[in-house]
Amino acid sequence: MQKKGIRFYLRIYCKILAQDLKSKMSYRADFIISTVGMIFTNISGFVSFWILFRSFPSLNGWSYYEMLFLYGFSLVSITPVQCFFDNNWSLRQNVYSGDFIKYCFRPINLFFYYQSEVFDIKGLGQLAFGIGTLIYAWVKIGLPFSVLMLLKMTVFLLTASLVMIALQNAAAASCFWIENSFYVLDLVCRFKDYAKYPITIFSPVFRFIFTFLMPIAFIAYYPSLVVLRPDAVPLLSWLSPLVGIAFFFVSYKIWMRGAMKYSGTGS
Amino acid sequence: MSAIIEIRNITKEFKVLNRREGLKGSLKDLFSRDYKIVRAVDNISMTIEQGEIVGYLGPNGAGKSTTIKMMTGVLEPTSGEILVGGNVPYQNRTKNAQEIGVVFGQRSQLWWALPLIESFKLLKDIYQIPDKEYDGMLALYQSLVDIEPLLHKPVRQMSLGQRTLSDILAAFLHNPKIVFLDEPTIGLDVSMKAKIRTLIQALNREKHTTVILTTHDMGDVDALCRRIVIIDKGKMLYDNDMEHLKGFFGSYRTLKIRVDGDLKAHAEEIAKELPECSVSADEEWISILVDEDKATVMEVLGTLQTAHSIRDMQLQEISTEEVIKKIYEEGVQ
Repeated sequence: MQKKGIRFYLRIYCKILAQDLKSKMSYRADFIISTVGMIFTNISGFVSFWILFRSFPSLNGWSYYEMLFLYGFSLVSITPVQCFFDNNWSLRQNVYSGDFIKYCFRPINLFFYYQSEVFDIKGLGQLAFGIGTLIYAWVKIGLPFSVLMLLKMTVFLLTASLVMIALQNAAAASCFWIENSFYVLDLVCRFKDYAKYPITIFSPVFRFIFTFLMPIAFIAYYPSLVVLRPDAVPLLSWLSPLVGIAFFFVSYKIWMRGAMKYSGTGS
Repeated sequence: MSAIIEIRNITKEFKVLNRREGLKGSLKDLFSRDYKIVRAVDNISMTIEQGEIVGYLGPNGAGKSTTIKMMTGVLEPTSGEILVGGNVPYQNRTKNAQEIGVVFGQRSQLWWALPLIESFKLLKDIYQIPDKEYDGMLALYQSLVDIEPLLHKPVRQMSLGQRTLSDILAAFLHNPKIVFLDEPTIGLDVSMKAKIRTLIQALNREKHTTVILTTHDMGDVDALCRRIVIIDKGKMLYDNDMEHLKGFFGSYRTLKIRVDGDLKAHAEEIAKELPECSVSADEEWISILVDEDKATVMEVLGTLQTAHSIRDMQLQEISTEEVIKKIYEEGVQ
C-alpha cells in the first residue's frame, strides 16, 4: 500500500468532484434555479450595500470604494467555505440519524472523506461576483498594481478563507457534543455578515470579540488592510495568515476529536 | 486455519445521564451530573477463524451493534482486548478499514447520485486496488450475479434489493479479510433474500472471506452459518455449531396426529399413555412433543396405533427460529 499523501487526496477529490458535477448537471432545472437564486442573493446584497452608502458617503474615515473593497474581499474569502465545506451543514442531521457512521469505515481521512462528498457549485457565482467587486473597487481607489500585490492578495485571501472555514468547522462539530447544535452554526453564519465592515466602526467590546473570540475581523478587515492601507499596516494584519492557519488547525482537531468520540445510534 | 479476530474479555460501558421527568426535571438535568453506568457488552471473548461465516445473534438491544462497532474501530472497549487481523481496531482505524468491509442493511454507503460503476472506480482509488485484482473481482461478480443492469444506474434510483446487493458487492470489492453484514436481508422479498444469501456464500467460498452476520432472519442463519454466537444483555449466551443448537434443549420433535372422535378426550387419554411427552390439542390436530432421548417417534407412534385409529399425521422438526426464541426468552440453563 502506498502512503496516502496530498497527491493521493487531490486525485480522489478531483474524481469525486468530476462525478458530482456530472450528476448535478443531470438535474438541470435544479442547477439553473439555484444559480439564478445565488445571483439574486448577491445582487440584493450589493443593492442594500449601495443604498446604505448613498446616504453616508463615508463611514468613520472609510470611503465608499474602500468599503466596497472590503465587501468584495469578504465575498471572495467566504467562497471556499461555501464550495468545499457545505457538508458541514448536514453534519448535525447525519450525526443525529446515525448515518454518520458510514464515514467511519473508509481507510482515508475522515474529515476529508466527509467534506469531499459535497461540492456546492453555487459558490462559484459568488466568487465571480466578489472578484468583480474587488477589481472595480481596486481601479476606483487607484491602487497600484504589481505582481507582488497580486501575490499578497492571493495569500491573504486564501488564509482569510481559512478563518471562515475554521469557524464553521468548529460550530458544526459542536453537534458531536450538543444535541440541538443548529443554533451554534446559524449564529456563526450570521456573524460572518459583520465581516464586511471595518472593525473600527464597532464599540471596543465588539472589536475585542471580533478579533479574539470570534475572529471574523480576520475574514476581511485585517488582511485587506495590507493592500488597502499599506502605509499603516497593524501587526495583526501581518499575523492574519498565521491566525488563519492556526484557527483552521484547531478547528480540524476539534472536528476530528468529536468524530472519533462519535458512537452512533443503535441499529 | 488461523484466527482473524481475537476478542478477550471485552467490556463496554456507557455513561448515561439519569434523566428526570417534566420541564422542571429537564432544567435540573442541565446542571446535574447524575450519571449511571450502563454495561452494553459484558466480558465477551471469542475467536473467529479466517473463512468462517458466523451468525451473531441476539434480541434488540443485546449489544450486537456495540460489539460490531468495537471490531470495526468506531468504539473503544472500556476494558479487554480486540485484535482484528493483528490490528487493534480503535488505534489503527484507517489501517483496520483497509482490511474490513461493512454493510448496514438500511444505510447505503455508496455515493447516492453516482452510478454503481463510478462508485466502484472511486472505491478502487480509495482502497488502492490494483487493476488486475479489480478486474478479476468485477469478472467474479459478473459470473455470480447479473450486475450489468446495476452498473449504470444511480444508487438513488435503485430498489432496496438492488441497493443492498450493490452495497454487498462494494464491501467485498477490495477483497477484505472480514466483512461485517448487519441485517443484509431486512425488508427484502423472498427471491432477493435467496439471491443475496447465494452471493454471500459464493464470495465466502471464492475469496475465503470471514463473514460476521447479524440478523433477525433465521433463514439467513440456516442458509449461511455453521457457527452462531448469541448474546443478550451484553453477556455471551451461546457460541457453538448450528448442530449443537438444534440439540440444545434435548432432541425434540413434534408429532401431530388426527383421529376420529373428540380430539380433546383423545388427547387426555394419550397424555396418560405417554407420560414422558407433553400433549396438547387444537381444533384439528393433537400435538405430541417427543423427547427423542427418552423415546423415539416410531415407538410413540407404535403405542398410539394400538389404542387409536390414526387418520393422518405430520412430523415437525424444531426450527432454528423456535430454539432461538427459547434462548432469548428463557436464556441458557
